[in-house]
Amino acid sequence: MAKDPLAEACLHFDELNKLRVLEPEVAQKTTELKEECKEFVDKIGQFQKIVGDLIDLVDELAKEAETEKMKAIGARNLLKSVAKQRESQQQQLQALITEKKMQLERYRIEYDALSKVEAEQSEFIDQFILQK
Amino acid sequence: MLCHVTCLATVAVLFNDGTHKELVSSVGWTTPDELFSCSEDHQIFRWNLLTNETTLVVRLPDDLYPVDLHWFPKTVGGKKQGLAEIFVLTSTDGKFHLGSKTGRIEKSVEAHRGAVMAGRWNYDGTALITAGEDGQIKIWSKSGMLRSTLAQQASPVYAVAWGPDSDRILYTSGKQLVIKPLQPSAKVLQWKAHDGVILKVDWSSVNDLILSGGEDCKYKVWDSYGRLLYSSSSHDYPITSVAWAPDGELLAVGSFNTLRLCDKTGWSYALEKPNTGSVFSVAWSADGTQLAGACGNGHVIFAHVVEQRWEWKNFEITLTKRRTMQVRNVLNDAVDVLEFRDRVIKASLSHDHLVVTTSLQCYVYSTQNWNTPLIFDLKEGSVSLILQAERHFLLVDGAGVYVYSYEGRLVSTPRFPGMRSDILNAQTASLSNDTVAIRDKTDQKVIFLFEALTGKALGDGKPLTHKMEVVEIALDQCGAASDRKIALIDKNRDLYLTSVRRLGREDKTNKIGTMVHTMAWNDSANILCGIQDVRFTVWYYPNAVFVDSDLLPKTLCTTPPQPQGLTSPPPHPAPTGEFSRTPHILNYVGTQVTVRRADGSLVYSTVSPYPALLHEYAGSARWADALRLCRFAKDQTLWACLAAMAMANRELTTAEVAYAAIGEVDKVQYINSIKELPSRESALAHMLLFSGHVQEAESTLLQAGLVYQAIQVHINLYNWDRALELAVKHRTHVDTVLAHRHKFLQDFSKQETNKRFLQYSEGVEVDWEKIQAKIQMELAKERERSATTSVRSSVASRR
Repeated sequence: MAKDPLAEACLHFDELNKLRVLEPEVAQKTTELKEECKEFVDKIGQFQKIVGDLIDLVDELAKEAETEKMKAIGARNLLKSVAKQRESQQQQLQALITEKKMQLERYRIEYDALSKVEAEQSEFIDQFILQK
Repeated sequence: MLCHVTCLATVAVLFNDGTHKELVSSVGWTTPDELFSCSEDHQIFRWNLLTNETTLVVRLPDDLYPVDLHWFPKTVGGKKQGLAEIFVLTSTDGKFHLGSKTGRIEKSVEAHRGAVMAGRWNYDGTALITAGEDGQIKIWSKSGMLRSTLAQQASPVYAVAWGPDSDRILYTSGKQLVIKPLQPSAKVLQWKAHDGVILKVDWSSVNDLILSGGEDCKYKVWDSYGRLLYSSSSHDYPITSVAWAPDGELLAVGSFNTLRLCDKTGWSYALEKPNTGSVFSVAWSADGTQLAGACGNGHVIFAHVVEQRWEWKNFEITLTKRRTMQVRNVLNDAVDVLEFRDRVIKASLSHDHLVVTTSLQCYVYSTQNWNTPLIFDLKEGSVSLILQAERHFLLVDGAGVYVYSYEGRLVSTPRFPGMRSDILNAQTASLSNDTVAIRDKTDQKVIFLFEALTGKALGDGKPLTHKMEVVEIALDQCGAASDRKIALIDKNRDLYLTSVRRLGREDKTNKIGTMVHTMAWNDSANILCGIQDVRFTVWYYPNAVFVDSDLLPKTLCTTPPQPQGLTSPPPHPAPTGEFSRTPHILNYVGTQVTVRRADGSLVYSTVSPYPALLHEYAGSARWADALRLCRFAKDQTLWACLAAMAMANRELTTAEVAYAAIGEVDKVQYINSIKELPSRESALAHMLLFSGHVQEAESTLLQAGLVYQAIQVHINLYNWDRALELAVKHRTHVDTVLAHRHKFLQDFSKQETNKRFLQYSEGVEVDWEKIQAKIQMELAKERERSATTSVRSSVASRR
């Protein structure tokens, strides 16, 4: 086959018989590539958007987790302090109980003394009656 | 007789309007209803308790942080001070400031380097003392001029207090307490008082006791010689404030979230746990019914003393609120409620009457009728002591001592120069139906005695002076005024008995007990009870010491330490006082003695009713009944009492029986010999001799012209010099004396050495027969005389 002199001059005709510098196949491929590239860029853009959203979401979650964490720490401290408070309250009550116990002991001694007096007096009365 | 207060509690009212923004450092009362407080927020507030108003008095400069505030004393030596109402305020910048009631700072004085920790006026308001962080103690005049630097030490002085007479001061030195007299040469007393730094001290002018509190979380009570009387158990936090009540019966202690009210012996009446932070200062109002505390959280806390109880026979009275009392008759459970217009300050229940004083009035109730009290107005509100006797009662306020009848009539106002009525208490004043006794403050050996009905000094107006400082006095309550006796305990804890009315003759003060901590007379008979060492002792007839002192031990009733004893250590984590912590007899009514143990509990003891009956019989001269009672009771002690009583009343027949019953044969013989004496005078003289009153016996005989008998008395007592003196003076029986002397010397184979006897024996011939004859003659003469007098008297009586 004789060499196409046009081809040698790097000139080609396409199906529409228009003169082209590039080979039609290459031209087609280029176009396809271009299309695909565009598609790719779009997809990348979309991806980026999605990832951005995701990051925002995670950030929000992190924030929420942080506040919850603080809350938990606070609650835990409160719990500890309540225990301490209880302890001091207990201490105060204990002091009051000791005080009351002392008073009770005093009353007990007083009661004993009075019982003794009663016994002595009834003994005296008995003796008195017997002697009469 | 004091009725007793059995229980106390504070009710705390918290003023919670957060007036102060920072901690309140100190509080001070001006009147019983007005308080000033100073705080680190540079403000001074006035609190009016009647209107519940709080007003800002002054805003201090921003660099002035107040530490202590003390008002100028109200009464000076019993006299009411004019309106010199100033206060001293000390601050952290080393200055003290004198301020007026309106809040104007009149004067600021540079006093110390570092903070001034305390500033205190003395009791008569003539001097001010300041203690600083620089370890110095300085005395200032009333106007703020430096007089002297009293002490200097390396460590800060945190607290200072004046002694009762303003002649000594007490201050802290780390863990030690120091008492320093103002006189430079006098001895300084210093002792280790706490295991931690001492933060606060107070010294009561009434009972002379010292109170201290420190970082070892304990408070302690000391006497003024530095002996420990009470040490509290360890608290949870350091003791940051202490204060004596004005009457010296109570004390208040403040700590973190704690306010405690205690008896003067240390045990605790009540504990409050208010939410106040540390109570940095506590102050009592002048009437002793209210308490204010300066709190670390900016509050000022007020507390009132309520729930006081008085008991007497079948009545039980409780102060339920500040102005309300509840009377309960235990026999029928009847309850009466007594309402008062003002706050109740003092009350006393005894001898069928309740006496209540409020800030303005005095109410007298009879126990028969609780509905209609007798009310009269008081000159000065703050009555500090009420004493009751059967017929009248005694009120003591800052200005004087008043005896009122139960009808509300002012009977008398005893007073003596230099009397300080504000510091009298039940131990240093005593009342009976006819006599008032008050121990002097400046010279504690002296007891002033007054006629209760006129307020005049008794007898020649000379007070009774004991050889030692007297710590407690008590008048007996029954019998005739001429027989009134006073029992006194001196510093050595010896118990003495003496007559109040000395009718010419020199009456002795007789010791009737040792180691007596406390005593009380019975309310219906002259029986004395007391606690000697650890034994409870009853003197059934203390007068026995004047009649027959050998008999006294036999008239005692002593009970050994009781099982749940009067002095046994309490089972609690009790403070370990190294000194015997003594119980206190509250009263002795009827047959019941009430004793307050050192731990605060009450114990009762009964005394046999027979001695009181015996007293009654002897008092009304029913000797046959008395004898029957003794035979019935079969008690040696009772017989001994009867013997003494009979001898005191010159009732020889009864005395003879009684002495026989207790086996005192010698005395029975002597009584028999007295009975056989020919004349009344010599019988009387021998009865006086029986009681050991030789002088009186002699003068009785001489007055009756019985010279020989008087001489014979001295001869019998081997009182040779006096016998000879009498014989020579009356020119009779010199030979009798010489003869007896000669015989005495011969019996003991001694030589005559007495110059007077040697001199007289020269000229006198001793002839026993002649002497005997002379004696017989004298006796016959006496017999004859008494016969004629008795005839004469019987004739007179017939007419």
